[in-house]
Amino acid sequence: MSDVPTIHTEGLSKVYRTGFWMRPHIGLRPLDLRVERGQVFGFIGPNGAGKTTTIKILMGIHAATSGSATLMGKDHRDPESRRSVGFMPERPYFYPHLTGAELLDFYGRLCEVPEPTRSQRARALLERVDMSRAADQPLRGYSKGMLQRVGICQALINDPQLVVLDEPMSGLDPLGRALVRDLILEERAAGRTVFFSSHILHDVETMSDAVAILIGGELRSQGSVPTLLGQVSRGLEIALRLPPGHTPADDAAMEAILGGALRHQPDQRALLRLDHDDADRAAAAVAAAGCRLLALTPLRGSLEDLLLSEIERAGGAARGGRP
Amino acid sequence: MSRLWAIALNTFREAVRDRVLYSILFFGVGVILLSLALSEVTIGDQDKVVRSVAQGAVDLFANIIAMFLGVSLVWKELDQRTIYTVISKPIPRWMFVLGKYLGLMLTLSAEVAILCVVYTGLMIAQQGAPEPVVFVSMGLLMLQLGLLTAWATLFSSYSNPMTATAFTLAVFVIGHLADDIWVYGSQASSPAVQAIARALYWVLPNFELMDIRPWAVHHRPVPTDRIWPALTYGLGYTAAVLAAAAAVFQKKDVK
Repeated sequence: MSDVPTIHTEGLSKVYRTGFWMRPHIGLRPLDLRVERGQVFGFIGPNGAGKTTTIKILMGIHAATSGSATLMGKDHRDPESRRSVGFMPERPYFYPHLTGAELLDFYGRLCEVPEPTRSQRARALLERVDMSRAADQPLRGYSKGMLQRVGICQALINDPQLVVLDEPMSGLDPLGRALVRDLILEERAAGRTVFFSSHILHDVETMSDAVAILIGGELRSQGSVPTLLGQVSRGLEIALRLPPGHTPADDAAMEAILGGALRHQPDQRALLRLDHDDADRAAAAVAAAGCRLLALTPLRGSLEDLLLSEIERAGGAARGGRP
Repeated sequence: MSRLWAIALNTFREAVRDRVLYSILFFGVGVILLSLALSEVTIGDQDKVVRSVAQGAVDLFANIIAMFLGVSLVWKELDQRTIYTVISKPIPRWMFVLGKYLGLMLTLSAEVAILCVVYTGLMIAQQGAPEPVVFVSMGLLMLQLGLLTAWATLFSSYSNPMTATAFTLAVFVIGHLADDIWVYGSQASSPAVQAIARALYWVLPNFELMDIRPWAVHHRPVPTDRIWPALTYGLGYTAAVLAAAAAVFQKKDVK
């Protein structure tokens, strides 16, 4: 069973029909996605990329136009496939007439969590997100941050194996963001799978084992974070020793050979940053300049660089479109 | 069953925590009490007038609440997007629709029970304890409300409250004129009109089949020969409309 992916989609697509004439609008182009058990999986892309559409299909909120998807090996159209899934939507919409404690009791009942486990878990979760004091207040008096916190509690009330969070950091203050980060990492440490979308790329980069980039309803990249970031070149950084007798007056001529600006260091050493990633060409230039190569480091890009380069490659497409 | 009960209970809680419900209920109680005043300006059987107006008030306000809550029953969940976190749990869509419906029926039962207690109190104070036929009539009123609410649920599962209100109101009015449609159709000279009238009669509900209020107002014995057909018709028709509502909602893309 361990090789059964937690989320697996094959050719999953969505075409919306909008307007009076029901014109087709592509929300998601055929998507093949594989999320392994125990992974923290980041789902990124610009607004309108299809992230929320994918999540809504997986959660049974929208029906796919074509393709298939499984959650822990079960067809996602079967409500039972969500028996061990926790989900928090992009914006926390909950019943304003309920108190925090009643809300968790309601969702616990929907997941058939028996008593006294249901109340114990609700209490522990509210305490974990620092909401115990507001447990008996109606939700209509909660701030957005409080709703987000209670939203995380409802997603975890059934002790799920898969947690799906759509923009969990949205609208949170730095403390709230840190709390969500800790919770995600705790879930991973407990062996659970976390699938989340976010625009806060630094958080995605630091927390995720793997990411998928969606642009214009199309999957552009998918893989582990180190692998994907390895594909993004930000050039080379070279440490070199300058030839004996080199003075700053000779820099201009040498920089013309090397193809970059020198930054002088002690002991006749210098650093050089090149905007290409051709190591052989760089080494040849260093030798031609009469310098000694000390170190050559490819500069790794960030997830933001990767996303921006993918958007550029996609022709700046930020939204789905007509077929 | 616990999941179904959880959805029903949440719907009931939402309704009883809504102040608008109490306003309608307050007016209902007011009109029942007003029947005493009306009896003073009536010539003839004053007790019968009190019973007629008071039972009519129970009937009218129960139907108003059924329509008011029913037309937004599913739509409100879609509009406020509270449905996202409910159907992402292991809940089949038919269970959601049925749970919402049962929650509303629970609310209506409580509301009819309150109006019934007020009516009984008024009767005891004014003309003695009501006859059993009154309570049987209230039970059949619940059957009518069940069918009307099922229609409202069906309309609410695919349209906004304004459209759903118009359709539900149409069903309510036509449902009380079903016998007239039949009579009108059979008297028409055009075969096409006859066919349309007959089709409407059989497709649309006939609330009069489940109504024994004239017996209750006149304190006549319970018309037992009407009870079983009314129960069979009401429950069967309600189940069919609810099945249609579940089927419509099953295919709906939640926005």
